[in-house]
Amino acid sequence: MSFWESFISDLLKGWITTIEILAISVPASVLLGLGLAVARVYGNRMISLIASGFVALLRGLPLVVTLLIIFFALPKLGIYFSPFWAAVTAFIMCSGAYQSEYVRGAIRSIDVGQSLAAQALGMSKLQEITHIILPQAFRRALPGITNEIIYLILYSSLAYLVGVQELFAIAKHFNSLQFRPIEIFSTTALIYAFMATIATLGFRRLEMKLRIPGLEVT
Amino acid sequence: MPDDDIVLKVEDLYKSYGKIAVLKGISFEVRRGETKIICGPSGSGKSTLLRCLNLLTRPDKGRIWLEGEDITNRNVDINKVRQKIGFVFQEFNLFNHLTALKNVSIGLEVVKKMKKEEAHRIALEMLKKVGLSEHAHKYPAELSGGQKQRVAIARALAMNPAVIFYDEPTSALDPQLIGEVLEVMKALAREKVTSVVVTHEMGFAQTVGDELLFMCDGKIVERGPPMEIIRKPKCEETKKFFQRIHELYARETR
Repeated sequence: MSFWESFISDLLKGWITTIEILAISVPASVLLGLGLAVARVYGNRMISLIASGFVALLRGLPLVVTLLIIFFALPKLGIYFSPFWAAVTAFIMCSGAYQSEYVRGAIRSIDVGQSLAAQALGMSKLQEITHIILPQAFRRALPGITNEIIYLILYSSLAYLVGVQELFAIAKHFNSLQFRPIEIFSTTALIYAFMATIATLGFRRLEMKLRIPGLEVT
Repeated sequence: MPDDDIVLKVEDLYKSYGKIAVLKGISFEVRRGETKIICGPSGSGKSTLLRCLNLLTRPDKGRIWLEGEDITNRNVDINKVRQKIGFVFQEFNLFNHLTALKNVSIGLEVVKKMKKEEAHRIALEMLKKVGLSEHAHKYPAELSGGQKQRVAIARALAMNPAVIFYDEPTSALDPQLIGEVLEVMKALAREKVTSVVVTHEMGFAQTVGDELLFMCDGKIVERGPPMEIIRKPKCEETKKFFQRIHELYARETR
């Protein structure tokens, strides 16, 4: 097999793993972000404090450190993760923590009249949050969330540190065998750039689709 | 409470924010089909009173009965109570992410758990009633202030409330848009929709108001038929207030 044939076929396998990581961590991190934001704004003191603490902790640690703690330190406490799930967990927690700040800001920016009107109709707090507040806050937070997700796509490469055979790990491995860094890393870079572009376009489409007159982020 | 005809009864209501007493012993009754007007200088506690009445703000003392039920009782389900009270805000407070139709139907769908088709049918009927069925698909940002307020009235009506509270419903509107909102409110008053209206629109008060309560400094200082109070106020504060209103509206004689 020629260099290119074997390189591309291995790289594709790695790419699939990367896509698997993202397919789980992107939606899960968005949900975590929403959940943390709601917990901080609407939770009682205890819940709000726990959520704030979680966000402060995750934002205070380099992602690498979080990842290594999950993979190497937690087993000492009897909590085991496979390399794949350690990476996915770290990415969800880190991205979710950052995303929650965009959502929290967006919730805070919604006029209090929206909440009063919901209450006046007889909505419960939960109904108000899910039907009135979050649909508006999510739209406002979307550009920020997009940012975090593009970032997540790029730092999914850190999964190589715990031995996940994803895109970057394969490229790095291949380079150590063949030492053709220009071909190997520029191809890899192109794939990441491709994914980031697809995500950007996809989220822009979503933004257009969810667009409502008067709710645009200016 | 024996009298079936009384929709709302308020007894000795008190509310303070910190050391500032906003309501100092408010009592009144609203009969079925009645339009009650509340007016008074700003800071007299009118908005606080309305918000206490549907428990958006908890009164410190006093009792409120809605259709015979003491809603100040802690065991009462506030959300159930609020379904029976329509509330129209000064700033409209339409849900910005929903069309006019959805704004009116969401209470029916989410709160009253009505089927979507049924809720939309009622919502459309209500929008028709306020003259906006052609604008059903528009978002709040695409409507004028007057149209927004009419949607807000339709939203309150859709829930088939026992009483509707209006909190200065025309104060945030440009003068040329006030008329369309007042027309809708007048039509409803003539249909005997029970309502409590905080307003400075004296024309409206005189045409459809059954009783006017004049509030000053957290108390009702004068009450009676709107025409009488507006033309011959007895109390000093009331005199001063209407003097100013008359001066303000002198050019647009009604």
